[in-house]
Amino acid sequence: MRTLAFTVAITVAGGNLMAQNPDQAPNLYRDHIQPLFKKSCLGCHNAGAKQGGLDLSTREALLRGSEHGPVVAIGKPDDSQLYKAIAHVTEPAMPFKGKKLPDADIARIAEWIKAGADYGEPVADADGVNLTEVRKHWAFRNPVRPAVPAGNPAGNPIDAFLEFDRAKRGLTALPQTDKATLLRRVYVDLTGLPPTPEQVAAFAVSKDPKAYDKIVGELLKSPGYGERWGRHWLDIWRYSDWYGYRQSNQVRYSQRHIWRWRDWTVESLNQNKPYDRMIVEMIAGDELAPNDPSVVRATGYLARNWYLFNRNVWLGDIVEYTSAGFLGLTLKCARCHAHKYDPIPQADYYRFRAFFEPHDVRTDRVPGEADILKDGMPRVYDADDSRPTYRFIRGNESNPDTSVPLQPAVPVLFGKPDLHIQPVTLPLEVYFPDSRLFVPGDLVAQAKSSIEKAEADLKKVKDKPEPEQVILAATKRVEAAKAGLPALEARIEAEFAALKTPVPENSEKLAEEARKLERAANMIQAEADIIAAKYEFDLGKNDEKKLAGATAKLEAAVKALKEPAEGYSPTGPKYPATSSGRRLALARWIASKENPLTARVAINDMWFRHFGKPLVATVFNFGRSGKPPTNPELLDWLAVEFMDRNWDMKAIHRLMVTSNAYKMASSAATADSPQTKIDPDNIYYWRMNVRRMEAEAIRDSMLAIAGKLDPTMGGPELDETKGHDIFRRSIYFRTAPDLQMDMLQAFDVASPIECFARSESIVPQQALALANGKLSFTVSRTVAAQLAERLTTPQAFVNAAFLKVLDRTPSAAEARESVAFLTQQAELYSDPAKLTLFTNGSEVPLKPSADLKQRARESLVHVLLNHNDFVTLR
Amino acid sequence: MPKLGLCSDNRSRRMFLSDTSMGLTGLALGSLLPRKALAAETDLWSPPDGKPHFAPKAKRVIWLFMLGGVSHVESFDPKPALNKYAGKHLSETPHREVLSSPFVKENLKAFVPGQHQTKLTLYPMQSGFRERGKNGVCVSDWFPNIGSQMHELSLIRSTWTTDNDHGAILQFHTGHHIFDGYLPTLGSWTHYGLGSMNENLPSYVVLGQPPGDCCGGMGTHGSGYLGPEHAGVLLQVDPANPLPFSSPGPGVYKEEQQKEFEFLNRLNKLSGVEYPSDPALKARIKSYELAFRMQMAAPEAIQFKEESEETKRLYGMDNELSKPFGEVCLAARRLSERGVRFVQIYHGGSGNAWDSHKDLKKNHGDLAAKVDKPIAGLLQDLKQRGLLDETVVVWATEFGRSPGAEQSNGRDHHPFGFSVWMAGGGIKAGVVHGATDEIGFHAVENRHYVTDIHATVLHQLGIDPKRLDVPGRKRIEVDYGKPITEILV
Repeated sequence: MRTLAFTVAITVAGGNLMAQNPDQAPNLYRDHIQPLFKKSCLGCHNAGAKQGGLDLSTREALLRGSEHGPVVAIGKPDDSQLYKAIAHVTEPAMPFKGKKLPDADIARIAEWIKAGADYGEPVADADGVNLTEVRKHWAFRNPVRPAVPAGNPAGNPIDAFLEFDRAKRGLTALPQTDKATLLRRVYVDLTGLPPTPEQVAAFAVSKDPKAYDKIVGELLKSPGYGERWGRHWLDIWRYSDWYGYRQSNQVRYSQRHIWRWRDWTVESLNQNKPYDRMIVEMIAGDELAPNDPSVVRATGYLARNWYLFNRNVWLGDIVEYTSAGFLGLTLKCARCHAHKYDPIPQADYYRFRAFFEPHDVRTDRVPGEADILKDGMPRVYDADDSRPTYRFIRGNESNPDTSVPLQPAVPVLFGKPDLHIQPVTLPLEVYFPDSRLFVPGDLVAQAKSSIEKAEADLKKVKDKPEPEQVILAATKRVEAAKAGLPALEARIEAEFAALKTPVPENSEKLAEEARKLERAANMIQAEADIIAAKYEFDLGKNDEKKLAGATAKLEAAVKALKEPAEGYSPTGPKYPATSSGRRLALARWIASKENPLTARVAINDMWFRHFGKPLVATVFNFGRSGKPPTNPELLDWLAVEFMDRNWDMKAIHRLMVTSNAYKMASSAATADSPQTKIDPDNIYYWRMNVRRMEAEAIRDSMLAIAGKLDPTMGGPELDETKGHDIFRRSIYFRTAPDLQMDMLQAFDVASPIECFARSESIVPQQALALANGKLSFTVSRTVAAQLAERLTTPQAFVNAAFLKVLDRTPSAAEARESVAFLTQQAELYSDPAKLTLFTNGSEVPLKPSADLKQRARESLVHVLLNHNDFVTLR
Repeated sequence: MPKLGLCSDNRSRRMFLSDTSMGLTGLALGSLLPRKALAAETDLWSPPDGKPHFAPKAKRVIWLFMLGGVSHVESFDPKPALNKYAGKHLSETPHREVLSSPFVKENLKAFVPGQHQTKLTLYPMQSGFRERGKNGVCVSDWFPNIGSQMHELSLIRSTWTTDNDHGAILQFHTGHHIFDGYLPTLGSWTHYGLGSMNENLPSYVVLGQPPGDCCGGMGTHGSGYLGPEHAGVLLQVDPANPLPFSSPGPGVYKEEQQKEFEFLNRLNKLSGVEYPSDPALKARIKSYELAFRMQMAAPEAIQFKEESEETKRLYGMDNELSKPFGEVCLAARRLSERGVRFVQIYHGGSGNAWDSHKDLKKNHGDLAAKVDKPIAGLLQDLKQRGLLDETVVVWATEFGRSPGAEQSNGRDHHPFGFSVWMAGGGIKAGVVHGATDEIGFHAVENRHYVTDIHATVLHQLGIDPKRLDVPGRKRIEVDYGKPITEILV
């Protein structure tokens, strides 16, 4: 019932959004029918929703009828489905599941149909969004910096806003947490790694009032910041390594070498690149700085959406996640019909898509590797700016409305800003990337290595020895490879000569030479292919597919021999020399200070990850069906501050983590404390929220504690099955649907398909991962060995172990229990005959200590890694 | 706070069990942090409480899914007419109109347009067939054992799907074409709605080899926006290593681990004094208790020591051919018996798919011999143990196979009409529902899209899928499907 009421309320509100055209001339339609339609019919039968295929908003639409056929017979109400449904003569009776209309209204409908079913003006124009109505929704209005409430002792406006809210409700904030807890909180939060015991100790004794602020500064400068926050943003931006059909090495989604975009993210954050600049680089880096690969790699953000089989799925994902991720707008809801809640007509979806319509994905060579399967830079470019964008009728891609090609434009609810779409002229190195100076050398090296490979193959078949035909084919292949090298060199020379201005005199000659050499090489290659194909043909037996394949190969080779090659083949592809500029215009609009959503959405994302709870609960939906902000003034103040500081992310992080709100204790309050009674959900931040650490932070912290963390940054994705053996940070391991590290999966790692907010589940599989996982044993044995070197008494060891693993000293009771545990375990080990060994599970190279006391220490550290405090930020 | 996104939870509202020492019955949901909404800011929406919405007919599900696409005409929907028209072009038969039927358009959302063109030369039945079971249902000779159980189940001969490629695997589990993305699967909805009956075991278990990444991969037992805690947990039928991390490596003593868990429990409870109202801490403590038990319960559930030779024979485990799948089916029974809510079984992974584009006779003949006895055995065993009444058993496949020949001796994918059967859990015994046309091309009578199967399963479990909806995740009628009331008791 609740849902129904909600829907109805929204529908009514939605109706108000549509433009109205008051017209004073009295007639039956305007006086009665139109109000009646609006009140009782248009909620479902409008141009967007079109229930049953019926749209009553214009006469034209009415006459088109429903999916079951015509609904009015002009002049004959009794033959009109519209009348019969309203009069409850036929099923389904209208209004659907609603009360029957008053008899007078039903009679007027009959009269109106009899008189010709005339509309004066359309009831609503699907595109005519009423901007005054739009602005009534908070998120569609530009944020204005609210005055900071007076009486702000801490000096941090965040606290002023929160204290103002708390004071109104009689809430008292909890005091600052202890120093060790705070330090661990801010370390893990900013870098994903815990502080060392030495850092905890130094902070504890520091008398410097600026000590905390200095630490924050250092953490924001450390490379760990980019790795930690890079991962957060990549959740939202849907980072995924390529996936599809691994069995046949077929990329179906995303791109090979997409890690270059991941590295760009980490590096950009560490350089504190302004957020607006980051947005523009991701959406249009190729148009912004075409000749700068360090910028262009950012477009991996778009390339990640590439999908082999269906461009509508691919572009659909771009529309959906670009609008949701940066704007908090659920544009995807307008794919099939007008948005149900927000003033977004269906055409808006397709106009947004039109920004991306010309673009495509390619991989450029990178220095040192000619083979783009092995390395390269995936990126986007505009392949064809003449591709039209059509609205798909009811979202059905096989039913495009080709009568109206749509132009790129932002949703009409934002007014109609002029985006100044300007084509971008691209330099030669960009539209012909293999004209870059490093490419010839790499191509030649590649050709040389193919000669070596062909020679090695020949040696192999000779040594075996394979049948004569096979050896002959291999011999020919060596010849072909050898002939290919001078051909390649000639092609390169001819190509580079042709690029010179003025074109050198001998360029024709060079081209001719290249043509000649290439053809010679091709002929040898074809001979080799024929021999091989014939051999395969003879082996063909009854295998239909193989036979067909061999035959085709044979035919192709013969054909190649007979037909002279036209010119020489270029060394690499050439792309259009201009880019439409559409994406650049869109990106600049998204990243503009005039955009009411961008800054708010980013602030919400940052706040969420610092405070464990977002200000707007529906992080990807700031529209009217989303949740309003719990602390609207605070959100707006931060959003304006962010923009006024030119989108300086580190400044915002600093502001947030140096607030009193951030430093507060998280607990000690019981269920019956006054705060819990007034604000059980902590909406007004009277305490810090306790959080479970993210999967990556848990694994990386384990490695850091043991001193095993390999700080190497960046590079190709690592094998996700090697997470217990390769000690790099988790962000560098492969992540794709079906391909995620077991340990990270246990702790709710981000789904690469969509993750605006991670789960914080607590399930037994997590306990198993930490209790039985190989990494836990490696870490606990390593840590115990390190500590035992300097600490001999059990008390000292326990103390040090707590500090090392949990960043805190044990309570008296914990210390007592722990010392007893050391004794108890050592005793247990002393009589192995009474013990049973596990036989299954991963072999851990680092064996348990043979020294019983040491083994007990290992056991203690192992338990501490499983302690709730280890995976928790208090 | 409603669900925030694909992988979110309702942290601010988590309410842990008021007492961590309470019995397992108190733990309704798969996650140990059952979510409870507060009315004030959530539009009264609240996540499921683990209780059925109406009186359930069944408690659990065993879902048998054949990868690759089993030929309906050579399994549960034999078509003598194919023999009659064998070798004839479709246009030479009275059935030429199947190509212009509106079902073609309604039915098909081609994965790669132009691939899998309709095969026009009709291909004769590759197996014999006869009436089987006490109710005399026509079934292929490749399935004599399941055939003998026809009076125990409801056969639905009129299922259809829309993907004509192996994304249909994903589609059968999520109700959506692979182009729509990776959405929650039936198993995850069940888990989300009802949670567990035995927290010592994962409550949505997957057995067998899942499909490759080409065809939905792990997404076919995934949970989409419901969050990873509701995804199926892959279990190996290997008592030595049934689950990831189910055992510490060799060299660790069982007693040592037990002492560690006990000590850990004491330490965490000491923290509890410090943080008396931290629900996550209580949940964490509980999770270790459960993990310790799961570590033992999972291997125990999938070993067969106490199963009699007679039982093993029933599952075909005395025959090398049918033994591997027999073990999977027996494991499924044991898991069900122990309270696992949803057991999803894949058959046909790792290059053994039913995808017989050629050599159908050999492919299907061999594979049927591997699964026929085990599946029939499972039905009989459930029945004799009194478990069938409260267990819905579903046998399904991604699509059927084309009436026309592919290459010289195979059949192509066929989304237009194929067979699924269901048994137990308040499903009628001995019913044949729906039909394809004379050559098995279109489902023509009582057509059912795959979500009708979902709706039927959920209905038997006492769940109204609409009441499981997550705010911001709009679903439409076809996503819910309609229970097939004709086959319900």
